[in-house]
Amino acid sequence: MADRLLLLLPELVLFAGAVLVAVAGLSPRREIRRALPGITAGFLLVAMAAVAFVHSGERAAVAAVLTPMPALTGWVRLATCGIAALLSLLTVGTIDRRLEADVQAGRLDFNPLMAGRGEFHAFFLLSIIGLLLCTSATDLIWLFVALELTSLPTYVMVAMSRPSRRAQEAAMKYFFLGALSAAIFLYGFALLYGATGTLIFSEMSAAFAAQRAGDGIPLVANVGLVLAIVGIGYKIAAVPMHFYAADVYEGAAAPVTAFLGYVPKAAGAVAMLIVLGAVGWEGGLPEPVLTTLWMSAVLTMTLGNIGALLQKSVKRMLAYSSIAHSGYLLIGIIAGPGLGITAVILYLVAYGVMNTGAFAVLASLERRGREIEDVEDLAGLRHRHPALAVALALCAGSLLGFPPLLGFVGKLYLFIAGVEAGQVLLVVIGAINSAISAWYYLILVGVPILGAPTARSETVDAVPSRWPRVAAVLAAVLVVLLPIVAARLAPRIDAGTAVRAAPDPASAAAARR
Amino acid sequence: MIASLLLLLPLLGAALIAFGPAGRRDVAGARAGSRTGPRWIAAVCTLVTAAVGVVAAMQFEGWRDGSFGLHAGVDWLADLGITLNMHVDAVSLLLILLTLLLMPLCIFASFSAITARQREYYGWLLVLQAAMTGVFLARDLVFFYICFEFTLVPMYFLIAIYGGENRARAALKFFIYTFTGSMLTLAGLLWVAWAHADRLGTWTFDIPTLTAFAQSGLSSGEQAWILLALMAGFAVKVPLFPVHTWLPLAHTEAPTAGSVILAGVLLKLGTYGLYRFVLPMVPDAVVAYAPFIAVLAIVGIVYGALICWVQDDVKKLVAYSSVSHLGFCVLGLFALNPIGVQGSVLYMINHGLSTGALFLLIGMMYERHHTRDMNRIGGLARVMPVWSLFMVFFVLSSVGLPGLNGFVSEFYCLLGAFTASVDAQTGYPGRLGPWYAAFAGTGMILAAMYLLIMTGKVVFGPTHLPGGHGHGGGHGGGHGGGHGHAGHAGHAADAHGDGAALPPDLTRREIGVLIPIALLCIVLGVRPGLLTDALARPIEQALAASAAASAAATVARPQDADTGGGASGHAEGTGDDLPRADAADATGDVVRERVRG
Amino acid sequence: MPILILIVMAIGFAVVNTVATHLLGPGRGGQAKESTYESGMNPFGSARRRFNVRFYILAMTFLVFDVEIIFLYPWAVTYTKMDPGSAEAMLYLGRILFFIGTSVIAYIYAWRKGVFRWD
Repeated sequence: MADRLLLLLPELVLFAGAVLVAVAGLSPRREIRRALPGITAGFLLVAMAAVAFVHSGERAAVAAVLTPMPALTGWVRLATCGIAALLSLLTVGTIDRRLEADVQAGRLDFNPLMAGRGEFHAFFLLSIIGLLLCTSATDLIWLFVALELTSLPTYVMVAMSRPSRRAQEAAMKYFFLGALSAAIFLYGFALLYGATGTLIFSEMSAAFAAQRAGDGIPLVANVGLVLAIVGIGYKIAAVPMHFYAADVYEGAAAPVTAFLGYVPKAAGAVAMLIVLGAVGWEGGLPEPVLTTLWMSAVLTMTLGNIGALLQKSVKRMLAYSSIAHSGYLLIGIIAGPGLGITAVILYLVAYGVMNTGAFAVLASLERRGREIEDVEDLAGLRHRHPALAVALALCAGSLLGFPPLLGFVGKLYLFIAGVEAGQVLLVVIGAINSAISAWYYLILVGVPILGAPTARSETVDAVPSRWPRVAAVLAAVLVVLLPIVAARLAPRIDAGTAVRAAPDPASAAAARR
Repeated sequence: MIASLLLLLPLLGAALIAFGPAGRRDVAGARAGSRTGPRWIAAVCTLVTAAVGVVAAMQFEGWRDGSFGLHAGVDWLADLGITLNMHVDAVSLLLILLTLLLMPLCIFASFSAITARQREYYGWLLVLQAAMTGVFLARDLVFFYICFEFTLVPMYFLIAIYGGENRARAALKFFIYTFTGSMLTLAGLLWVAWAHADRLGTWTFDIPTLTAFAQSGLSSGEQAWILLALMAGFAVKVPLFPVHTWLPLAHTEAPTAGSVILAGVLLKLGTYGLYRFVLPMVPDAVVAYAPFIAVLAIVGIVYGALICWVQDDVKKLVAYSSVSHLGFCVLGLFALNPIGVQGSVLYMINHGLSTGALFLLIGMMYERHHTRDMNRIGGLARVMPVWSLFMVFFVLSSVGLPGLNGFVSEFYCLLGAFTASVDAQTGYPGRLGPWYAAFAGTGMILAAMYLLIMTGKVVFGPTHLPGGHGHGGGHGGGHGGGHGHAGHAGHAADAHGDGAALPPDLTRREIGVLIPIALLCIVLGVRPGLLTDALARPIEQALAASAAASAAATVARPQDADTGGGASGHAEGTGDDLPRADAADATGDVVRERVRG
Repeated sequence: MPILILIVMAIGFAVVNTVATHLLGPGRGGQAKESTYESGMNPFGSARRRFNVRFYILAMTFLVFDVEIIFLYPWAVTYTKMDPGSAEAMLYLGRILFFIGTSVIAYIYAWRKGVFRWD
């Protein structure tokens, strides 16, 4: 009990933070409301320290016993807290912007009923908690609850991110399709339970091993796995559950889009790894599962990149590219233990940083008080905001996987993992897709730096708050500097530790001694 | 240590330009001309690096024995065995020296051409130098790939910011072509590394280790696929015939220094890749597909030359001549015998010198007269005598006049192709023959024709200048509308700001830029032995694999007539490298005698 | 096969019952019978009438706290069987206090949000 609570220390910290910001957001004092993103970031940093604490020293062994994939739990939680802290900087000044401006100008009295900033940050933290919980899920119910805890707040966040009908529409779409996907993977979970007679991953793993040794994995289990993967695929926007991405990403405000690009995606990838960990990569994934993943990876990469090529809107372009990146991630998921999981973790970190950076640039710019949309709005950005132009170029280069930036290291690991797992064809398709993606990422590099300012882009200006710009620059710096320490970002996960034995207090106690 | 200096010095210079105090005074041309301006930082930086390069060349001990030297490096991604290790052999060191020579010249040549956005320009040039040096220095596959790929970025910006009218399209096409190819190359290289990890248990990206492994450890089916993947990247870079279309556009649109570096060094990254990876790593496949690739090379030679013939734009002409010339380079490599490969490596250097110089000269002409159309300009011998002297000199060098550098390398390449199957005594598995050499030889004749026609029109003949009012007067309003770059008037001011301030003929700075290249052309033309002696052993080793492969192949398929001939000769010499080396040297000597005679 | 029989029987039972009630039932109608609440208040106005949004918020708040009471009952039943001084009992007490604490925070939140204000 106490061990488990200690393991969940970061989540508890964040929960306290969520409660605090929810209440503090209603304060009539403007300074407190202004400080909310800062408080959120502070709690995330404390949670980051808590993760480091929980997974260090003798506690690491205890944590390892209690979690399905120890390195996954530690690294993803650590990275998530860091990236989320970066994300919280983006939100500064976005939520309730009009309301706060009215209040400050004296046109309106502050009415807590209309304020959403506190709730927004509370939901922000709750969604992060969901992701953190995903990483340590030991059974299907836990995983389901954690996934839903990740998703549910995001629906609300999309709706309240900006006062426009498109945000409402996006939230509606996101919610309904999200509910559909939850139904699908829940059905898959149910079938898995039916096929193995247990909800706990470690026992399920034993059951599958027995079935493999016997008559092979039954059809029910395969159907369950496929449904679970397709359903969870919604979270990472993998084909065939990718339709919502472009509309939702475009409808939400840029900071929320950045959030959607990382948090649900990380949760989905982690959940897939954990579910697949139960059936195990050793001896090969079951044929239907492998085929599903393979087809999904190829289609996701290709459709994502081709879709992105056709876009004029920057956010839609990045939305489609986000789909493509899920395809790359699936290479690592197919590859499995050894390098695959390592690569997935590393790529999640890399993608989180560079995606946040790219959206931070979008969040820092506005045109007549509205978000910028067209690529043309970025033309000649270099002249007005050189730092933002360079940051966008670096993040786009990294998303493209250009050496020696962070995205390259991530992609390198994914490709090596793919080759190692014998998926050479998949890697080649990935390579070709990277080349396709050069077309549109180069636009993001070229238009701001090389393009001449147009009449339209002359009206683009920076948002009043400086924090989104700080986040953009910070992300760009990380994109350049993190590759140096990339070796330490990439924990090696052995096949043996992919799935742990049943977590029981006795072995936890033993590990502590 | 000294190897890392070669890499880090330019980066340091670039950082200094980007963040240093000089950067602020970038706005007006006058102030940027001060001795602390970016261009002087760049100049000093490249000169110092070149000096370090000379020291490195003197310290290097592998000139004769073909060994690797100047080791340096750090670990990077330890769990995959990825390092940032560096080393050089004679071939890569020569190419590094070529880079180090061309860079300061390019920077000096840009002094008058580039007046706007100087900071970025010189910064990118220095970064480009670091990346190119890194390619030749790399001992690690991933490190190699990073540098290979990273050359794209500075070049992309150099073309896209400082290029001509079509610069955006040219830059994009250049980037996409090369990037697409090299993604596939990465996949191929990863496959090799994986095969090593799979069969020997450890991950490493050490190039010598992987090369040694790949020669024996890969089945011929695998080799064919890897060859395809590697060729995808390197052939685009070279560029080989069907994928060459990016090159003329990029060359034409790039600023002068960009063209010089593109022709001088960047194209050599492709041939260097072929030499360093393709030949030794997948010998079976190379032997099997050599005729096919050679045919592509020959098509490139002839096709490039024919297109040159109908060009009016001088710069485009030289650009297409690169396609043709690099065809010789590839042909020499895939002759798979020491003469051919030596010729090819020599060609890399000589082409860098002569074509680089030609681009410099065309740039100098363009700065003064703002046209490159040879129908609009002519008889420059009277207006620009010094320029014309150099022009004729480098055209002759490029044509391959005996006594100048171009001849030796071209001759070696052709001789290599010619003897690739006839001269069975050497044991090398070449599958080309006289026919290949004969067809490629027509390229030489065509080269003489188009280059001399161009010289005749531009240098000699009746004097006529664009705008019709005598010489000088680059910016006069009289020719403003006619000569093509009126479409980007805003940009013209950027790139050619103080062209009007230039005297009609070359300045001392410009002459100073051309002299070292001219001297080297003469030296290498008269004494090619300086290089061929150094190149013999390393090339020997690079080819050992294909020789062995052909021997193995003959055992496997004795009915194959072509390789059978080669390998039966080889059978006598198996297990002992020396006789073969002597034979190669002897052939080399004969050729040298002939050259001198 | 047994499943098939079961399905047939289940469907048959449902159909037979529905049909039988229709055929056998007396079937008396009338105003009172047709009304929405047969033995309750007489409905008035349209069901589509709009309510003030505050009703909903209040109703939801009520529901939340109402449901929490349900959790307190089983806890109380278990707790009375424990020795109040034991460590286990303290743990149980701690847990429910934490639970109530979260409710209190929710209450404060609702209060500050202005849910209870009616003006």
